[in-house]
Amino acid sequence: MTAPAPDQPNPVAAPAEGEPRPIAARAERITKVYGAGDTRVTALKEVSIAFPAGEFAAVMGPSGSGKSTLMHCMAGLDEVTGGSVWIGDQDISTLTDRQLTRMRRQRVGFIFQAFNLVPTLNAGENITLPSDLASSQPDRDWLNQVVETLGLTDRLKHRPTQLSGGQQQRVAAARALAARPDLIFADEPTGNLDSSASGELLNFLAMAVRDFGQTIVMVTHDAVAASYADRIVFLADGRIVSEMTEPTPERVLDHIKGLER
Amino acid sequence: MFRTSLKSLWAYRARMTLTLMAIVLGVGLISGVYIYTDTINRGFNEIFEESFSGVDIVVRTETDFEFGEGVFISEEDFDRVTSVSGVQRAYPSLAGLGVSLLDREGEVVGVQGSPTFTASLEEGDTAGFVIDQGGRYPVGPDEVVLDREATAAAGFEIGERITLISEQLGRIEPVLVGTAGLANIDGLGSRWILFDLPTAQQALGRPGMVSGGNVYVEAGTPVEDVIASMTPLLPPNASAVSGQQAAEAQAAELQGNLGFLTTFLTVFGYIALFVGAFLIYNTFRIVVSQRTRDLALLRAIGAGKSQVMTIVLLESLFLGVIGSLIGIAFGLLIAVGLQAGLSLIGLTFPSTSLVIATRTIIVGMAAGTLVTVGSSLAPARRASRVPIMAALNEDAARPIRRSLLKRAVTGGVITAAGVGAAWLGLFGGGGLGFSAIVWVGIGVGIVFFGMFALSPLFAEPTTSLLGWILERTGVAGKLARRNAMRSPRRTAATAGAVMISITLVALASTMSGSLRATIDEVLADNIEADVIITSTNQFDPTAGFTVQLADQIRELGEVGEMTRLQIAPVRTFSVQETAAGPVENTSDHNITSIEENFALFLPPESSSGTLLPGEGEVVMEESIAADNGWTIGGEATLQFEQAGERTFTLVGTAGGPAWSGLIAVSRSAWPGLFSSPSDSQIYIQAASGVSPGDLKAAIEALPLVDELATVSVQTEEDLQSAAERGINQLLNLILALLGITVIIGMLGVTNTMALSVFERTREIGLLRAVGLDRPTTRWMVRMEAVIVSVFGCLLGVGLGILFGWAIVRSLRDIGITSFLIPWLPGSWSVSSLLGSLLFWVIATAVLGVAFASYPARRAAKLNVVEAIARL
Repeated sequence: MTAPAPDQPNPVAAPAEGEPRPIAARAERITKVYGAGDTRVTALKEVSIAFPAGEFAAVMGPSGSGKSTLMHCMAGLDEVTGGSVWIGDQDISTLTDRQLTRMRRQRVGFIFQAFNLVPTLNAGENITLPSDLASSQPDRDWLNQVVETLGLTDRLKHRPTQLSGGQQQRVAAARALAARPDLIFADEPTGNLDSSASGELLNFLAMAVRDFGQTIVMVTHDAVAASYADRIVFLADGRIVSEMTEPTPERVLDHIKGLER
Repeated sequence: MFRTSLKSLWAYRARMTLTLMAIVLGVGLISGVYIYTDTINRGFNEIFEESFSGVDIVVRTETDFEFGEGVFISEEDFDRVTSVSGVQRAYPSLAGLGVSLLDREGEVVGVQGSPTFTASLEEGDTAGFVIDQGGRYPVGPDEVVLDREATAAAGFEIGERITLISEQLGRIEPVLVGTAGLANIDGLGSRWILFDLPTAQQALGRPGMVSGGNVYVEAGTPVEDVIASMTPLLPPNASAVSGQQAAEAQAAELQGNLGFLTTFLTVFGYIALFVGAFLIYNTFRIVVSQRTRDLALLRAIGAGKSQVMTIVLLESLFLGVIGSLIGIAFGLLIAVGLQAGLSLIGLTFPSTSLVIATRTIIVGMAAGTLVTVGSSLAPARRASRVPIMAALNEDAARPIRRSLLKRAVTGGVITAAGVGAAWLGLFGGGGLGFSAIVWVGIGVGIVFFGMFALSPLFAEPTTSLLGWILERTGVAGKLARRNAMRSPRRTAATAGAVMISITLVALASTMSGSLRATIDEVLADNIEADVIITSTNQFDPTAGFTVQLADQIRELGEVGEMTRLQIAPVRTFSVQETAAGPVENTSDHNITSIEENFALFLPPESSSGTLLPGEGEVVMEESIAADNGWTIGGEATLQFEQAGERTFTLVGTAGGPAWSGLIAVSRSAWPGLFSSPSDSQIYIQAASGVSPGDLKAAIEALPLVDELATVSVQTEEDLQSAAERGINQLLNLILALLGITVIIGMLGVTNTMALSVFERTREIGLLRAVGLDRPTTRWMVRMEAVIVSVFGCLLGVGLGILFGWAIVRSLRDIGITSFLIPWLPGSWSVSSLLGSLLFWVIATAVLGVAFASYPARRAAKLNVVEAIARL
């Protein structure tokens, strides 16, 4: 594992305490610019951040703060304009599209806000989709464990349209976990859910980190959702402005108010 | 509003290009066919005008027999007729068949499917053939003139001796003294050998006879008056008409003969437009559904329903007009292509500049525009009815899956009606005044539409099965299968366009396969000969060769049994008593003189009475006797070109393929009926221990065979492959034309895949995010296209076979007894590959991949982040 360079002005470069944990993903001074000329928008400005393995991190910020762009760039879905992104020990900014795809398939999991599932595939097929794409056999025991934990055992043959919103998101979570990726990116995973369904999903995500050692980076603007995380990174205007560990909803709300002031 | 239409056309230009292509191809094929056939007609009209230009009166003899020896009048009769006052000069002429032209290598020079004429040519007769610069008119028995194209084809030069084979004179070698042509027209379609009159009379065996002539009237004398004074002097089988009338009559007759080709080609044009209509309809549906939200926004800001509809209709009108214009221009290319294609298979026509008639432009514009606007009506109506808020809020581009029950009922009823009609034709013998084949045709047409309505019902199981195969290849196949199954209606509508063309392909292949199988069967089972000798002139079944040939062959040690046939045209004549009174019934056939051992070579499958006609006796195929109400022991009346009407006693009838169309008299009766004693066919069995090949070699070694040059010596195998060649040529032409409609159908696949990709943008984004790489994305789209195309192909193959079976079955009476489904190619030749059904299944799969490449590339290039973010 490469440690971040010492000269980095990175407020969260080092693990919080104790043994240094391996880094699951990190960004080094990444910049993302959309458009050109008059329509030029800088979404990220030299952002550097690291996510240690086994951490449940949340990225917060107002609309247009660059939080989704950060996630897209770190997941290899979007190219950075400057800087580099590392997944484990791999600099992904040097990868071809094919290598990137393979990297996403094997090392990254996704949970989106909506439209997480391929409508023509049933729940079970959606869960095994990444391993099917890799033409590899999924780890059956692990799969069963995930499916059971998420309470999806009797839903595997259902099509997405036959599932509730909460069930759909849990299927997406199961898919993300199935391949045991280095890290899971969750983009507003509870954005379309009612509070009890989001509570269930967030509890599960927290448990996956706690019990299975999974790394999760969740983008959200919901203070309650963010409070499930170990650490929250706040973004504004394409920069990291602050961070918070051991958050509670109240502290998060207060902090946001403070930022807006 | 007009500007809104234009702007959206521009915005959706990629999709509209496909529609435009469909219109261009459809209109192009129709106008190409019109341009081509108009050009042929003008060419022939020019020939006939040239043939009679400046001629005031044409004296002609008349015959109803297409392949007869012709009827003639004596030179004295002609002279008497033309000796009336007012005639300035008159040129008797003679034309006929019976001389062949050999090139320097001794091979027959000819135009396939067209005869070589021999005629007289005299200086001073300014109409018709005119000697080209550098040559002169033929005078005396040692001089000849050839038409320009024959000279060029054989590579002859003026002054050299050329070899001709006359049925009458045998081999002659006159000097070529010139070439001749009809003005500047090329592509006469036949070869002409021109002598002076006495030599022509000798070569054709008609001394002292002429077939008519051109008459020029003195200046100032009304032509009608001269005709009036000539008419009483004419012999009964001749007439005198003005040059103008003669030209018109010949042109009209020819147009009748070309009618089949014109109709045949035009039908293909309309099929292409029909397939194109599907594509156009689908495109408008797609574009409208993609724009649901734009149109809903227009409605929200105050556009009325009718205004939205007008916008869409204006777009289609604009596209229709532009597409039709380009289509007509493209038609010129098609016409040139048809000219080249048809001449490859031996159909050459007089060439002149391309004719673009006003009719072509009107029909092309009207057909293209109407089809386009008509196809857009339903989508336009749908666009105007989009519920505003639903469209603005929801992903309204997604098709709604409606129940297929109504489809099933409608389709079922239509199909049942069609099957009923076809059944009536096949097993009920017709009815309501239509013949069996007409009923089958109507039934087949109705079943076609019924199946079209039913096709969404087959879409799910079939695509599921096809997809199951592709699913084995990996996850791309699995996703493709699910996508194809998602919208059975759309899959079926897309496959429908492919289905139409492939139905016709399969129909043509099945029918030609059955025809081939029938010929093979007849040759194998019904012709007991090792070698068959015929004339090389396939154009004329009655063409023959000297009887000396048979005498020489009989002497060969390799010959076992042999039998000779003389063939000439005849017409049956009977009077049928009907409720409305007696009706005269005439029908054209060939009559054959047979020898005692005839049945040994051409055995009947069934027979009654004797098959050995004696003096004044006749035998014939059972069905000909039945059609005329003739019974064994009764009388049968036959009409002959020269011998007039004769009555025979019917002594026997027979059935089976070998006896199809046969009317036979004894060989000894022949000289009383016809002046030419030529044999037309000789059937030979090899002596024991001699192979057909050896027998053929022995016969071909005879000096007379070489000398005659127009004799073809063929084993059964040769005949088989010759027949196959003929069938394949026609099949290839049909397939080439159908190929255009297949392409139009495949454009529809491109279109549907583009829509499918568009609708699934988010889904594809998701798949890409979780690990679908670009090549697999491409294959996912391509495989869906393969499923849709092959589904259409299979439907088409199924229907084509069914229709082929129905039609072949209803043609049993005319001798097509075998039914063959050409799944696999018979050999590795291109034509046999094209005629096999498996080829088309594979071809549509490959075309599916090819025609999906644009949407596949689009899908693979989608920006993942944007695709996911899309609402």
